[in-house]
Order: sequence, then structure tokens, then C-alpha cells
Amino acid sequence: MPKIKYIEPNGVEHVVELQPGQSVMQGAVWNGIPGIVAECGGSCACGTCRVYVDESWREKTGQASDMEDATMEIREDSRPGKRLSCQLTVTAELDGLVVRIPESQW
Amino acid sequence: MQTLTDLDLPHLPVETPAFAENPLRYLAEARAKHPWIASSSIGYLVHDYGAIRELLGQDDKLRPAYDGIVEQLGAHGTPWGRFTEEQMISLPVEQHRLLRDTFAAKFTPRYANQMRPMMQGTIRRLLDEWAPKGRFDFEEFASYFPISNMFTLVGAPREEIPSIRASFETLGLAFSMDKRRMPAIHEAFGRVEALVQRLIAERRAHPESGNRDDLLHLLIQTSDEGGIAERQLADLLIFLFVAGYDTSKNVLTHTMYLLLQRPEIYERCGQDHAYCGKVLEEAIRYYNPGQVPRFTSRDVAFRDVLIPRDTMLWFTLSISGRDPIAFPDPERFDPDRQIEPTRRHIAFSLGKHMCLGQFIARAQLQEALHQIPQRLRNPRLVGKFGWRPFPGIWGLHGLPIEFEPVEA
Ligand code: HEM
Ligand code: FES
Repeated sequence: MPKIKYIEPNGVEHVVELQPGQSVMQGAVWNGIPGIVAECGGSCACGTCRVYVDESWREKTGQASDMEDATMEIREDSRPGKRLSCQLTVTAELDGLVVRIPESQW
Repeated sequence: MQTLTDLDLPHLPVETPAFAENPLRYLAEARAKHPWIASSSIGYLVHDYGAIRELLGQDDKLRPAYDGIVEQLGAHGTPWGRFTEEQMISLPVEQHRLLRDTFAAKFTPRYANQMRPMMQGTIRRLLDEWAPKGRFDFEEFASYFPISNMFTLVGAPREEIPSIRASFETLGLAFSMDKRRMPAIHEAFGRVEALVQRLIAERRAHPESGNRDDLLHLLIQTSDEGGIAERQLADLLIFLFVAGYDTSKNVLTHTMYLLLQRPEIYERCGQDHAYCGKVLEEAIRYYNPGQVPRFTSRDVAFRDVLIPRDTMLWFTLSISGRDPIAFPDPERFDPDRQIEPTRRHIAFSLGKHMCLGQFIARAQLQEALHQIPQRLRNPRLVGKFGWRPFPGIWGLHGLPIEFEPVEA
């Protein structure tokens, strides 16, 4: 199963195995990884599951949809690689994906 | 593990005026008997912040219980009953998702921000009209604000508002679970439904009269392409009008009430737009209008209690922000309060029914909070106010104030 690495702002790393089809958000929430709040449970509606995809992975994860971009505008954020983790679906190709968790979702 | 029905639970008199006036007093007593759940005449109440946070987002275990409300009110088979059982929030999972996705783009933070100039114009015009009075019922004033924005968003003529506002007001009390209100609710629903059907027919007849960018255009287009049934189109507009009316109005009124007692914060809101956002978040923690009804869709084991399938639960979001276990010193109103990610207010619910209008609501309330102190100086309470029933959409009833008007 694909492994996803989450890095907290303080540097603490968590590696989680996920089934293809699950979302990067679910991996964090089910494993109690702090900082991904996910209030809407994955509906692309709350903007509280933001992560930053590591530079080397951005090509594979692709671009955020327009809807996702519009939802991320809950706050200003110019940091590159930002995505809503509920919209990042795990595939075999994403085995090893590294995402960073923000200081705050707000 | 004990079954819910076997527990000796505290009973909360949620239907009484005394409870609406001071639910926290009753809650403190209830908590001493059971930490997170209580019984009442309308169903069980899950009132502990932590329990709500853990349970409410679990969409695989719960389903909206608006049909349960209709049943308790004996309104099955009436037009209002049908609407309530079939409105967006009550639809089966797949239909709900499709419908929500159809127009979710009109409710994103980006879109809400684009609507800010419109919202600023709305509150400015209202203040131009109301401020010279020097004295008014703030709740009545506030009631024109969200609905004016909602009408613009949808693309409905604002001239209709004065004659239909009273009906929204009545419908806002529908979930107060008081059968005596039913005749008025049926009448109000009939009026709102007739208005909405007329708006749709008029727009169909004269598409050029509207804006190609508004919600009505989008919904009619989707409906013409077969994405939404005609009935659903009308239901959806009714739902949006009702969902956006008294929730925002009650929050604005209660925030004003809090600020009447905190003149320095009120003053600063007039000067500092960003600060208004913080004041609003704290105000929504302190008070918000909603109690969310759910049925368990299967047996649910939670904290050593077995909640059988088809149990009706009310999640009291409204007072969840004052839970002393979750929020240190909960009675202190502090806009600079540190927000813990797992301890943020849940006024807009959690999970897939999380308020679609949350960003619209926040944007419009922030704009109002910024302009009101610039135009209504030194406001003070000059009379009595009451409380709306606790079940459903709770809040202040009336807020008579006096102030020195300032011209724009
Ligand atoms: C401060 C103001 C508001 C509060 C506190 C609030 C609160 C809520 C809550 C608690 C729910 C969940 C109900 C449930 O799950 O049973 C909800 C749902 C909803 N709200 Fe709001 N609301 C507010 C303003 C608005 C506005 C302005 C709009 C429209 C522009 C709106 C549209 C909706 C819709 C469409 C839903 C249903 C979402 C769904 O089922 O997917 N709300 N709101
Ligand atoms: S969980 Fe709400 S946007 Fe991702």
C-alpha cells in the first residue's frame, strides 16, 4: 500500500500506509496526526485540511481544481504547493508522497 | 456498555421560556448528573462540546432528522411537511452531494469575498435609512441585512422583501417544536412558496431581466439541462432564503448585545476591519443559534453508551462554545482568545452538511460589524428584550437601543 509522509511544522514526521482511493486527509484524521482539522469531512467546503505538497511531488499530484483553489481562499497564503488534502486521492503512483502541515488552518 | 434508554438521564425543559433565557444554568446541573447527554420533550440532547465534536462529523452513523421534526409536529402530508422532508439537507446521500456540488462554487470563500462590495453597499444603505431615527429595535434593523444580500445573490428583486420578511420570520420558528405555531407556519410557507414560484416563472419568461452570473440563472440553467427537478428548484430557493435569514440576523443581534456591554471593543470594530473578524469568531463561540437534529442511522457505541439506531439526537451547537471543559474561562469574551484547532467553535456544524453559507455569513457579518459602529455612536439598551425558543433557531427577541447617529 502507498505510504504517505506527513511533516508537522515542528519537524515531527508521521508515515502512514493508505489504500489507493483514500484521501490524504483521511490518512491524517484516522491516525490522529495533528493540524489537519477537516471540519467538513472531505467535502471541499471548509478549507481546514490544507497541506503543502513537497516540491518534488507536485508534478505527480497535479493542480488544484478551481473549486479547491476558491475554497483555499479562507485566508491569504502565497506558500507554494498548497492543496486541500481531502482532494488528494492516494494512488500507487503517490507512494512516498511528502506533505507538510501548516502552523494553523486559519 | 449501557443502552441509552436504560440510563437515568437529567431532563432539560428546553421548551420553556426560562430555559431559553438561561440554558447554561440548566446545563451545569445536567452535567453533574450525566456528562454529555440529557433527555428532553423533543429528544435527546448531546450538549458536551467534546462529544459533539467527536460524533457530529460521523456522517456514516447519523442522518439529518428533519423528517423526525415533521413527525413530532404532526405535519406529515402538508406542503411545509413535504418541503421539510425533501429539502436539500434531508435528501439521500448521493442526491444531496450532486445538488450541493451544482452550486457550491457560489458559496466559496473566493465568491464570498467578491460579494463584499455588494454587502458593504447593503449595510450602508440600511444605515442611511435607519441611523437618523436615533432609536430602534436592533433586531428589526438587522433582519433586513442578510436577506437583502441573499436576494441579490440569488438574483431576486429586493422590492419583494418588505412584504415577505414576516413570513421568513415565522418560518424561522418552525423548528421550535411548538404545535401551536403550525397554522402560522403553514400560512407563511404558502406565501414564500408562491413568491419563489413567481420569481422562477418571471425569470424564465424574461431571462434578460437577470444577471447571467446569479444563482437563479445557474439553477434554472441546471434545471433546464435536467440536473434539477422543477420542484427541487423551488425548494432550494426557499431553503436558501430560510437558512440565510434568521441565523445571520440572530448572530448580528446577539453580537450587538455583547458589544453594548463592551464599548471599547465596539469602538475598535468601527476602525479595524480585520479585528471585526476576530470579534465575530469569538461572538459565534459565545453564542450561535443552532441546534442540529440527527437520527442515528445504525447502533452507535459512544463513550460506553449504546445509542440504538433511529434515536433522535439534538446537537446543541448554540451553547457548545461555553462548555467549561473545552474552553477555559468560557464566560470571558475575548476576541484575542487563542484558537486551538480541536477547540474551535462549531457554529456551522461539522461533516458533509456543514453550513454551505458559512463564508457568505462571515463576510456579511464582518462588513456589518465594521460599519455599524461608524454610524451608531454610543449605543445603549433602552428597554426589555426576550429570548426566542431554544429548540431550532435560538436567539434574542428584540433589542431596543438608542444612540447618536453619525452621517456617512
Ligand atoms: C451565522 C450564520 C449561520 C449559521 C450559524 C449557520 C448554521 C448552519 C448549521 C448549523 C447548519 C447545519 C444544519 C444541519 O446539519 O442540520 C447549516 C447548514 C446550511 N446553511 Fe447555514 N448558517 C448560517 C448562515 C447561512 C447562510 C447566510 C446561508 C446561505 C447563504 C446558509 C446556508 C446553509 C445551507 C444551504 C445549509 C445546508 C448544507 C447542507 O445540507 O449541505 N447558512 N447552517
Ligand atoms: S476537509 Fe473540508 S475542505 Fe477538506
